[in-house]
Amino acid sequence: MPEPMLSMSHIKKSFGGVKALVDGNLDLEAGRIHALCGGNGAGKSTILSILMGFYKPDAGEIRLNGEPVQFHSPQQALAAGIAIVQQELSGIPHLTVAENIFLGEEPRRGAFVDFPKLYRQADALLSSLGFAIDPRARLDTLTVASQQLIEIAKALSRHDARIVIFDEPTSAIGEKDAERLFEVLRELAAAGKAIVYVTHRLAEIFQIADDYTVFQDGARVATGQVADINRERLIEMMIGGAIEGEFVKENAPTAEPVLELSGLGRAPWFEGVDLTLHAGEILGVYGLVGSGRTEMLDTIYGLETPDEGEIKVFGRPLPPGDVKAALATGLSYVTEDRKRTGLILSASVGSNLSLAHLRHLHSLGFVKRPAERALIDRAIAGMRIKTPSPAQLVRNLSGGNQQKVVFGRCTAGEPKILLLDEPTRGVDVGAKKEIYRFISNFARAGGAVLMVSSELDEIIGMSDRVLVIKQGRNVAELPRRAADQKSLMMAAL
Amino acid sequence: MKKLIASLMLSSLMVAGATTMANAAPVRIAFLMYGNKAEFVQLMERYAKEHPAVKQGLAEVTLFDGRYDAAVQNDQGQMAVNSKYDAIIINPMDFEANIDVVTVANEAGIPIVVTNARLNTQDMLSEVVSDDVEGGYLEAKAVLEKLGCKGNVVIIEGPKGGSGEIERGRGNERAISECPEGAVKVLERKTANWSRAEALDLMQNWLTAHPKEIDGVIGQNDEMALGAIEAIKSAGYDVKDFAIAGIDGVTDALRAVKAGEMTSILQDARGQAQGSIDVAMKAVVGDDYKPMSDIWEQYKGKMEWNDGKTKRYDVPWTIVTPENVDALLKDRGY
Amino acid sequence: MQTGSRAGTNPLAMREYGIVFAFIGLCILVGALCQLKVVQGTWPQNAFLTVNNLLLILHQISVNGVLAVGMTFVIISGGIDLSVGSLLAFSGMMAASFATRSPGVTAWAGNYGAFIPIVVALAVGSASGALNGWIISRFKIQAFIATLGMLMAGRGFTMAVTNGNPISALGPEFRWFGTGKLFDAIPIPAVILGIVFLLAWIILNKTVFGRYVYAVGGNEKSARTSGINTKAILIWVYVLSGFLAGVAGVILTAKTGSAQTAAGTSYELDAIAAVVIGGASLSGGIGRLTGTFFGALIIGVMNNGLDILGVQSFYQLIIKGSLIVFAVILDPSRKLTA
Repeated sequence: MPEPMLSMSHIKKSFGGVKALVDGNLDLEAGRIHALCGGNGAGKSTILSILMGFYKPDAGEIRLNGEPVQFHSPQQALAAGIAIVQQELSGIPHLTVAENIFLGEEPRRGAFVDFPKLYRQADALLSSLGFAIDPRARLDTLTVASQQLIEIAKALSRHDARIVIFDEPTSAIGEKDAERLFEVLRELAAAGKAIVYVTHRLAEIFQIADDYTVFQDGARVATGQVADINRERLIEMMIGGAIEGEFVKENAPTAEPVLELSGLGRAPWFEGVDLTLHAGEILGVYGLVGSGRTEMLDTIYGLETPDEGEIKVFGRPLPPGDVKAALATGLSYVTEDRKRTGLILSASVGSNLSLAHLRHLHSLGFVKRPAERALIDRAIAGMRIKTPSPAQLVRNLSGGNQQKVVFGRCTAGEPKILLLDEPTRGVDVGAKKEIYRFISNFARAGGAVLMVSSELDEIIGMSDRVLVIKQGRNVAELPRRAADQKSLMMAAL
Repeated sequence: MKKLIASLMLSSLMVAGATTMANAAPVRIAFLMYGNKAEFVQLMERYAKEHPAVKQGLAEVTLFDGRYDAAVQNDQGQMAVNSKYDAIIINPMDFEANIDVVTVANEAGIPIVVTNARLNTQDMLSEVVSDDVEGGYLEAKAVLEKLGCKGNVVIIEGPKGGSGEIERGRGNERAISECPEGAVKVLERKTANWSRAEALDLMQNWLTAHPKEIDGVIGQNDEMALGAIEAIKSAGYDVKDFAIAGIDGVTDALRAVKAGEMTSILQDARGQAQGSIDVAMKAVVGDDYKPMSDIWEQYKGKMEWNDGKTKRYDVPWTIVTPENVDALLKDRGY
Repeated sequence: MQTGSRAGTNPLAMREYGIVFAFIGLCILVGALCQLKVVQGTWPQNAFLTVNNLLLILHQISVNGVLAVGMTFVIISGGIDLSVGSLLAFSGMMAASFATRSPGVTAWAGNYGAFIPIVVALAVGSASGALNGWIISRFKIQAFIATLGMLMAGRGFTMAVTNGNPISALGPEFRWFGTGKLFDAIPIPAVILGIVFLLAWIILNKTVFGRYVYAVGGNEKSARTSGINTKAILIWVYVLSGFLAGVAGVILTAKTGSAQTAAGTSYELDAIAAVVIGGASLSGGIGRLTGTFFGALIIGVMNNGLDILGVQSFYQLIIKGSLIVFAVILDPSRKLTA
């Protein structure tokens, strides 16, 4: 067995008495893509932060090419060839691609930026990576996927990176762009770099990674080659026990229509969308990012006003652009991005849960505290939200629990139709299953679910029917038995 | 020539029509004010418009609001030059920074008169001002006379470093130094930025720090003296037990004088505004011009016209007392 | 990157205690410095630590305190109101024109007792605030810009009322609201501040409206998704701020006995300072009225204490400026918003 490029062994780290890492181990080999797996709080973020010099370990050893090293600052880690591609897009919209890549390290001539040299350098870097992006383009004119590629270029431009860490790089981009990203990853590996890949999307691990390491409760519990395991085994290792199926699906659709769209359109996002959703049904909507899926849900819910077409709920037309009316007829909406549009991060778990229902919980404008408290307690118990108290700030919860808070708020008013947009994005495996169970139970009890997702497994695993949207039009409708990865991708591309 | 037209207009009484007549263009005067929020500035503007030459259409005075910014005033000075005004009168914000206006006016050959506050230069045509050192001296004297040159006083100052604060402060000190050594003690001195509201808080705090010790209040303007009066009342003291004085002669201060609560040193807004217009008119019209404001009559013996050629006209201060206050209030329409 | 799990204590609670400690610390410091003068024999007694001085401080912070209460709502809603100083002057001027015994300053001027001028001031403030809120929510203009416009326009309106002249000789009924005392001891402005604070606290913490203000400032999109009429909430927030500027206008005018065109200049900055020292976040969603109250008290104690100790005004400004920045730096919950 060859000497690993990087070896972290028996790393310990506590934060004020809370043990984040008890026995952190990680071995990376040159030229291979290494998937780092584990639920939220398993310790993977902590060990990566230590590797990047953000935290000092309490104990343990790090060896780079056999030599013991210690990083006291991120600068030292960078200098040693450890680069990270940020999860959040952190570019400056009004600067050009080249300016973004070399931000802070612009070639200079005296006090001035040497622009010709800057663009030459950027051009050379981008073409060496095989990115067909104009270095003179302004960042905000690029697609999200291209912006993500710029982040990669930025990470690689600084030093001769030997280890590149990717933290959820596909969370903001669609399947097609993800493919492009994977090509880049393979090329980087082929160039002899060690790649660390963190993702919640298990399918991607089997698509791209060579090795895996699973963390649980602050320790490495398993490591090996991806080729030796399957999806089910990986999930079992992550949650530390056997699971019976990844998805939960126990509902049965009826023939009773509850939501009907006819010729619905809003320029420039989508047009002529027809669909019928039945009681007890989970209708999956699949489409690439930018296909108009989110805009369609926004419009059904009344956040936006349609240009054409009609929405009927329980056979009655829904007034367009009226959220209150939508809520009153029993619609509820779990939005795509919980941090941006779902939650009030600065507020407590309790206030987030009761927010949409306060209009029913007051007398003369004064909030009825006992009634509110009862609603909050019901939602916390019903969704199994793990929080020390309802007064905890929602930003301190894990991603999965945050998502459960959004679900809790949306369902506390006992809606009949749920609109879901990427219901499990950034949620760990354990919480995912609880959310699937909730969706299934909701439909089994007669509710109807319209679920938008770009995770094929999820669409296939949960839907009774799948609607494929492409460039703002519904192009195909597949029954459950006909919906597989290939046919969905074919229809969407 | 202009004199001739003036007499024609006087006889015809068609003031408005006359100004549009050919060759009857009135003398255009740019009046640059440092701001327009204080009552004193308002009074100056009013008296400028009431100047006989303006009323009769001989002169047209345009007022500019400097918005308490010396740079704004310099811009306005440049603009007045560019717009070819016949004369410029400036009531400057800053005694150094606004010298610029004098320089550009001189370069363009436009007569410039400085009024109300001083500029640190001798290059202007003339100054029509009241001596702030004298004003500060007179108000402190009024306080000290009432105290019999004995006791504790506080001084509420104007904005630190401004010419008003510096010169009035100098006058305050001169008056205090005329008392026997050590007989008068200045307990506190601090700025309240010409503001009644600030002076009210400041005086309340001083009364807390020095209960029953303060005998006199020297406010470097009336507004701050009035703020001190409000503070004294709210602390439950009798205002009449204090010797209080301010400068400017704003209407509220005149009322307080009438009530026996303070002394005010009237700065003659009318004398400054109308006097400077006369000096400017003389420079534009020429030797034929005779001063039209009656202030020259009023101050005969104290401030002479001298054919408009005096470098610095010192408009006398008037000490407002219960004896002359009624006449002054009446003049303002009360 | 996610940092380690956090202890279960509510950081907002810590923040509130923090400011109380800061306030007590400041009082002890000023009190000790005053005591030193007593020990040295320069003072017969400690002038700072008396009931009368405490009441005096409440009297002095009444105007800023009332403005800061409105500013707290605005800042929690994610906005800012730069116009309160100007609206104070405008409403104060309008009120004074209905409470003056010197006729002729305006076409309608006269003395109509206390009720009418106060109603006028509150109406003028509320209406101007409504205009602020309408412009912000209807045209989606940043609050900073919309209220900056009102800051200038409001000052202009104030001067237009009387052509720039002050209005004085106000009737005793009206002046009672600035100079009167309850039980011969508690200044009426302090009583007004107390009532305003109490009512505002109830509105912010006990009503649906108050909760919506937090929601709109915390995340407007989430609030909209929850079916909240965010535009209406924003308009009401600015109406409240304008209304309280009217209240402050009444207090200041009645206190000084004169409505001045320059009144309230830059008061918006003191109000913002009180709110920020009180722990609110300028990015919205976070803030407490109790924090604001102590923020205003800290500014008040500092002004009062430094006057009493005879500290020059420039040092006063330096100390005040440093305090604002330090209050935010030392805020234990600040890391959450980073």
